[in-house]
Amino acid sequence: MNSGQIDYTKKEMPEKVVKLGYGLLAIGFVLVVAAFAFDYTRASFNSLISFMFVFSLGVGSLFLVALEHIAGAYWSVPFRRISELLTALIFVAPVLAIPVLFDLHGLFHWSHVEAVEADTILAGKSSYLNESFFYIRFVVIFVIFILFRIAMVGGSFKQDTTGSVKINKINARLSAAFMPFFAFMLSIMAIDWLMSLEPHWFSTIFGVYYFAGTFLVALSLLTLYVLYLNKEGMLIDGISSDHLYNFGALLFAFVNFWAYIAFSQYMLIWYANMPEETYWFIIRSEHGWEFISLALIVIHFVVPYVMILSQPSKSSKKRLKVVSYWILGAHYYNLYWLVMPTFSKDGPVLGWYELVFPIFTAGLIITTFNFVSKKRNLVAIGDPKLKRGIDFRL
Amino acid sequence: MDIDYAREASVIEGNPSLKSIEDSISKPLSTKASWKYWLALMFTSSLLITGVVCLGFSFYYGTGLWGNNNPVGWGFPIINFVFWVGIGHAGTLISAILFLFRQKWRTGIARFAEGMTIFAVMTAAMFPLIHVGRPWLGGYLFPYPNQHALWVNFTSPLLWDVFAVSTYFIVSFVFWYVGLIPDFATLRDRAVTKMRKFIYTLFSLGWRHSSRHWQNYEMVYLILAGFATPLVLSVHTIVSFDFAVAILPGWHTTIFPPYFVAGAVFSGFAMVQNSLIIIRKVFNYEHIITLDTLEKMNKIMLVTGMMVGYAYGMEFFIAWYSGSQPEQFAFMNRAFGPYMWAYWIMITCNVVSPQLFWFKKIRRNVFVMFMVAVFVNVGMWFERFVIVVSSLSRDFLPSSWAYYKPTLVDIGILLGSFGFFFTLVLLFAKTLPVVSIAEVKSSADGSQPTHHGGSSHDK
Repeated sequence: MNSGQIDYTKKEMPEKVVKLGYGLLAIGFVLVVAAFAFDYTRASFNSLISFMFVFSLGVGSLFLVALEHIAGAYWSVPFRRISELLTALIFVAPVLAIPVLFDLHGLFHWSHVEAVEADTILAGKSSYLNESFFYIRFVVIFVIFILFRIAMVGGSFKQDTTGSVKINKINARLSAAFMPFFAFMLSIMAIDWLMSLEPHWFSTIFGVYYFAGTFLVALSLLTLYVLYLNKEGMLIDGISSDHLYNFGALLFAFVNFWAYIAFSQYMLIWYANMPEETYWFIIRSEHGWEFISLALIVIHFVVPYVMILSQPSKSSKKRLKVVSYWILGAHYYNLYWLVMPTFSKDGPVLGWYELVFPIFTAGLIITTFNFVSKKRNLVAIGDPKLKRGIDFRL
Repeated sequence: MDIDYAREASVIEGNPSLKSIEDSISKPLSTKASWKYWLALMFTSSLLITGVVCLGFSFYYGTGLWGNNNPVGWGFPIINFVFWVGIGHAGTLISAILFLFRQKWRTGIARFAEGMTIFAVMTAAMFPLIHVGRPWLGGYLFPYPNQHALWVNFTSPLLWDVFAVSTYFIVSFVFWYVGLIPDFATLRDRAVTKMRKFIYTLFSLGWRHSSRHWQNYEMVYLILAGFATPLVLSVHTIVSFDFAVAILPGWHTTIFPPYFVAGAVFSGFAMVQNSLIIIRKVFNYEHIITLDTLEKMNKIMLVTGMMVGYAYGMEFFIAWYSGSQPEQFAFMNRAFGPYMWAYWIMITCNVVSPQLFWFKKIRRNVFVMFMVAVFVNVGMWFERFVIVVSSLSRDFLPSSWAYYKPTLVDIGILLGSFGFFFTLVLLFAKTLPVVSIAEVKSSADGSQPTHHGGSSHDK
């Protein structure tokens, strides 16, 4: 309907990005295989970090898409397609989880049946924390996410040619249905794959904590792609600093949200001082882990907070680019802080194992986007809301 | 009704002229109150007097008149405190957070919601004060050097409450007043009697509607909104700390801060909803506080209701998952113990009843949404009841368990708090514009320049 007025021509991804993606993926793959060959368990822990990172990006992007539909937002319509394409990471994420599944015993203490039988507390929760139910939850959650992804994003792809207004209504409804599932499934994933690494430990806010990071990285990656594709002229005319300001403002809000949730969790556990809860933080406050923990506050909160506090910085292309890269790194660091103390309680480890997985992950993300964006428009040109989205001014 | 995606829908209906907006909003201020108004005022002030009498008895005979017993030291006063602080949150959410999100539909309801915030915080602040038993010693809550060498306990979240709530009250009040200044000026210019002119002139602080004034005003308003946003989150966060820093099962859980904030917004919206439905009917504001606005509020109630539901579920699951016996007992006791009636009232009202808002027909049905909002208010009051009473009445030592039962005095004070709140609301409705004249005008069709040349008036 509106596509007549919209001036958009599809351009191919620049050659160098394609090469970069393949390069990182190939190098990363070789190194990752080597890592698994040398020390399977250590590689698995790292693979788990990468898996939860990519999972964050995939389902976080789907959340952003749903959020736009459900909130009836206009400003984000010109960028929605990028998030929609990034939801393909949901299909890719299990690649990183599969090697972990082969080494459950190395990662998850609760998977040792004898150890669980000897431990009354673990025996009490064995009806939830056992291998078969763990697999079932994993499969069911991915199937549901993939079904929602196919329904919501598939409709939007079709709209490019049909321009049907109906799709907007269907997607708004699907998004409403998606939200409770999202909250539920993301929490289960956070409990299963991160919290249960220390099977005795528990914290009701943990799902929210993981969600805060999920939202941040999905938004950061989107911001990076918007900045890059816009620079290359691959998006659409009319993207203004007012659009960019929204990215900056949302990133700023969620940097604060993460800090709020992280503080709430730490503060309440510290104050009540109950051994069954504090031991998780005690592991992270001795043998050198205290530096990693303190740095987390600076890396995940102080630095991005200062970087985009001022009004002009929220719409500055340069600043947004830096802060988005920074937040992607910060979330990876956050996951490292959540996962690795279980692997090495007597001090932080940082060797080539830890470095090769980010390379592979970056290659995976870039190549996935290159692949899925090949045949697709980078802007949802059939969406009747697009025109108003482009015209958005603060 | 089909949505037109190409143009922005107006937040007010019927395309009224700017003058008619001004007229309809300031009409209740310049006309004599009807008998219905006096009847309503009589009703609320009788409730207020009931409360005052019950308080008087409590001061004279002591807090032994209340139901508080040995394990349940926090009875009605703390439940009511948390309930009323929560009610206040919707006002700041609407006026500050929705402002930062540039949600224009808030213009019709922001002023009224802000007013409710202030009254709710005033109501709430009474309860900790009377709960200390000797409210005339309340001054010691503030850390000031004194001859008794008494110093406050800075490590107690109850003290953080004192700071959080008083800061919140001051900022909310300033925010509300700043928003009122242009309206005071409008009223001053319309005033017919000398007395009114004098009062409005005094409060409008020399406002002349000059563009320079507007420029400063908008900057101040934005900054205050920026201040109020973290503040409102901090207030209920700290209220949740009152419980969560303790080691009592059912109180100590890390999800409390965001869960309390969501619950506060949930109940606050319900209260705003209830009051606005009456106000828009009585004052004929149906074109300003539109059905669309009410529908959006219902959606927010659905979302926050589900967040609260998520927290209930997560608490229950983790209580089991923790493997900690006291935790497991506390939650089983809540759901199936002597207070199971309160627990299931809470679940029905807070989690089940808002599910009706999945249906558009119900979201747009004024009577049904009014009933749901009443349910939500009841449910949120019971949520605090469940948290406070069920955990305390059966604590660690079974020998000290006791069933808490409120007395008539407790109920009288609760009714009194409603009387106090609604009396203030009624007085507010007749003395100040309950809808922001300036903001509604600014969001009327055609009052803002568009980027396509011409105004959105031309169709």
